[in-house]
Amino acid sequence: MFGLMVTSLEQGLVFGIMALGVYITFKVLDFPDLTVDGSFPLGAAVASIMIFNGGNPFLALCLATAAGIAAGCITGFLNTRGKITGLLSGILTMTALYSINLRIMGRANVTLLNSRTIFTYIEEWGVPHRWVFLALFIITAFLIKVLLDCFLKTQIGFALRATGDNPEMARANGINTDTMKILGLSLSNGLVALSGALVAQYQGFADIGMGIGTIVAGLASVIIGEMMLGERTICMATFATLMGSFIYRLSIGIALRLGFAATDLKLLTTVLVIIALSTPKIRNLLRSTSSTVSN
Amino acid sequence: MLELKGVTKIFNAGTVNENVVLRDINLKVDEGDFISIIGSNGAGKSTLLNVIAGVYPVDRGTILLDGRDITRVPEHERARFIGRVFQDPMKGTAPSMTIEENLAIAYCRNARRTLKWGLNNKLREEFRQKLAETGLGLENRLNYKVKLLSGGQRQALTLIIATMVKPKLLLLDEHTAALDPSTARLINNLTEKVVLQKGITTLMITHNMEHAIKMGNRLIMMDKGQIILDIKGSDKTSLTVNELVGMFEQAAQRKFDEDRIMLGARS
Ligand SMILES: Nc1ncnc2c1ncn2[C@@H]1O[C@H](COP(=O)(O)OP(=O)(O)OP(=O)(O)O)[C@@H](O)[C@H]1O
Ligand SMILES: [Mg+2]
Repeated sequence: MFGLMVTSLEQGLVFGIMALGVYITFKVLDFPDLTVDGSFPLGAAVASIMIFNGGNPFLALCLATAAGIAAGCITGFLNTRGKITGLLSGILTMTALYSINLRIMGRANVTLLNSRTIFTYIEEWGVPHRWVFLALFIITAFLIKVLLDCFLKTQIGFALRATGDNPEMARANGINTDTMKILGLSLSNGLVALSGALVAQYQGFADIGMGIGTIVAGLASVIIGEMMLGERTICMATFATLMGSFIYRLSIGIALRLGFAATDLKLLTTVLVIIALSTPKIRNLLRSTSSTVSN
Repeated sequence: MLELKGVTKIFNAGTVNENVVLRDINLKVDEGDFISIIGSNGAGKSTLLNVIAGVYPVDRGTILLDGRDITRVPEHERARFIGRVFQDPMKGTAPSMTIEENLAIAYCRNARRTLKWGLNNKLREEFRQKLAETGLGLENRLNYKVKLLSGGQRQALTLIIATMVKPKLLLLDEHTAALDPSTARLINNLTEKVVLQKGITTLMITHNMEHAIKMGNRLIMMDKGQIILDIKGSDKTSLTVNELVGMFEQAAQRKFDEDRIMLGARS
């Protein structure tokens, strides 16, 4: 049981960085961005191929993040300049990234078991092996959470939030909503790719299929967190997202122990998200039929 | 200060649904003018304001603001010197952001947004004072989310947002139409106060003839995409609703349709 908690905490935090990215697009920007299914393995691919070839893993994380930022930028350009719907823009980038990721890795998977990953370095600094993952993930995830909280309270952060909340109002106040969308998508996919890069080193390999369902897992985390803790303030909402990510990984861990096959998990996750998404709607429906019609 | 020369706007040009909404509009607005605009449904009033604000491009003509040709300047850039309040109270504010955050966004309207904090105590104090002037009791709710406010409160807030940084031009599109009469009166009073106090050049669409006559120094009536009446100065001060209806019927060559335009008290 203790083992399960620790694993879920590790996974919840490292995938939580991805969930924070999804929070930016889905919650702050109100943009259904499917790029993440491609930018997550993109980060993993960039980092693992560098590390596999003996590159510095810290530099690898930076480059992976940069690659994710570029991917988000492309989706943003497709949507704002190309006037392609948000959903389709994300799907296009994601699909293109599949080929690109294969090109980067040169094969369907890259193993890192014999390479010097970021964890090798941290262990050499004297962190005991069993805590190395947790230590790094707690620091990274919470550092990113705090930075994101701060960013969303700056003048540019306000502009980003207004763009998602009411684009008309944003434009009426001199905000270039196209620029803000591109900025938000870049930030989001940068975090998603960083998460992918860390996950690859955590699990010891990168795989071309590892991105499938990323968006659903991210959404599940955001929604579970929101249901549990609410979203009264930004600080609370980002914490809730990390929390949701942990609960999500914990439930998956439990499902596996209950005897579900690993391949069933995507179905389980989807069902979970559907339930979570429809609960407030069902609740509203019940409420609105008893009072007046809500809009 | 604002000048429209031969402005024409056609929706769905070249299709069966082609609709000429603005027909060769020429209009010269002077510094400090407070113009009320009236006209029947579909006359093109909202389109006129939208074209000035840059929501859509014009098909022909030029728009000059302070001598600068802004015909091709994008909406968000024009927003630096044009403030707007819409009919729909939902449109002018960011609902899931707080009152102070909304005001902080307006505060940066004309400046480059940076990674500085969006809010600080000095700003909060300034906002509190501005809100107190409205008499709506919002000054103690700076950190309330805007979605919790009533329509009237939101319109008051939108008015403050639109005038936070003094705009060269204020565009009001039936901004009291969705409110109950007493709230509408309150917002109208606030509008007059803000506009006159700061001397903001203003274009205000209204469906209420009485408001149109009472407020502002100039009245424009539109019909079928054209400006058919333009009354200013003492002609406007002495104007009555009945006279205005008569002038409409003469200018438009048809009976006045009372469906939507509220006459107010007929004198
Ligand atoms: N975005 C648009 N696309 C196509 N047609 C439009 C668009 N906006 C307005 N129109 C058409 O232009 C005409 C004028 O509309 P506009 O909203 O300017 O009228 P209005 O004078 O503001 O009327 P109301 O009193 O109803 O607000 C209408 O026939 C309308 O259907
Ligand atoms: Mg209108």
